[in-house]
Amino acid sequence: MLSLFRITDVSAHCDLPCGVYDPAQARIEAESIKAIIAKVADNPDPDFRTRAILIKEQRSELVKHHLWVLWTDYFKAPHFEKYPELHTLFNEATKLAGASGTKGELDAGKADELLAKIDEIARIFAETKKA
Amino acid sequence: MPWPALVRVRGRSMLPTYRDGDVLLVVRGVRPRAGRAAVVRLPPDAHGVPRPLSVKRVTGRDPDAPTRWWVDSDNPAEGVTSFDVGSLDEADVLALVLGSVHRGLG
Repeated sequence: MLSLFRITDVSAHCDLPCGVYDPAQARIEAESIKAIIAKVADNPDPDFRTRAILIKEQRSELVKHHLWVLWTDYFKAPHFEKYPELHTLFNEATKLAGASGTKGELDAGKADELLAKIDEIARIFAETKKA
Repeated sequence: MPWPALVRVRGRSMLPTYRDGDVLLVVRGVRPRAGRAAVVRLPPDAHGVPRPLSVKRVTGRDPDAPTRWWVDSDNPAEGVTSFDVGSLDEADVLALVLGSVHRGLG
């Protein structure tokens, strides 16, 4: 197995050994964004608002990260063939978490749209798990 | 008797020490030592699927089971470690890393 004459690959990888994916990660961050937007609306304290906005931007980045991991690592070519809308869904969802969405704005409507897109991705994810 | 082998690192969990593509000279048949990087056999995942051989840092003996070894990744953001899978049997610490003989591009 381990030899001087044949180089063995050894994993220093996270996804390879665990293979655990779940759109719930993105959903939790998106729910957090929605709750932050509601809290900011009720609170005029500038320090609180600054903190809330910083955290909201971080959570939006995390949504994008979790979606990208699903997009690039979990879903494979046959999934994209079977669900041709997947690429557009991921593109729209990550945009909704970006500067023109929940990252840059304090719009609860955007957070709802984002949650709806994540739910749509989660529905397809669940179908691929059944197959 | 100790004998040498070559392995190639795949992934980022040992950054900044070793990066993707690095080729490491390792030595088999020696006792694990705290602080040394090692090639280890991790237990299978939750579905019973075997994990590939991995490179990890041996951080020390398991305080609850002194014959076993605790392993961690150098990159706190990535990697399966003893925090996920518990400590390893000494037999699962297969080789100690002596050093890098080729630097990957990753």
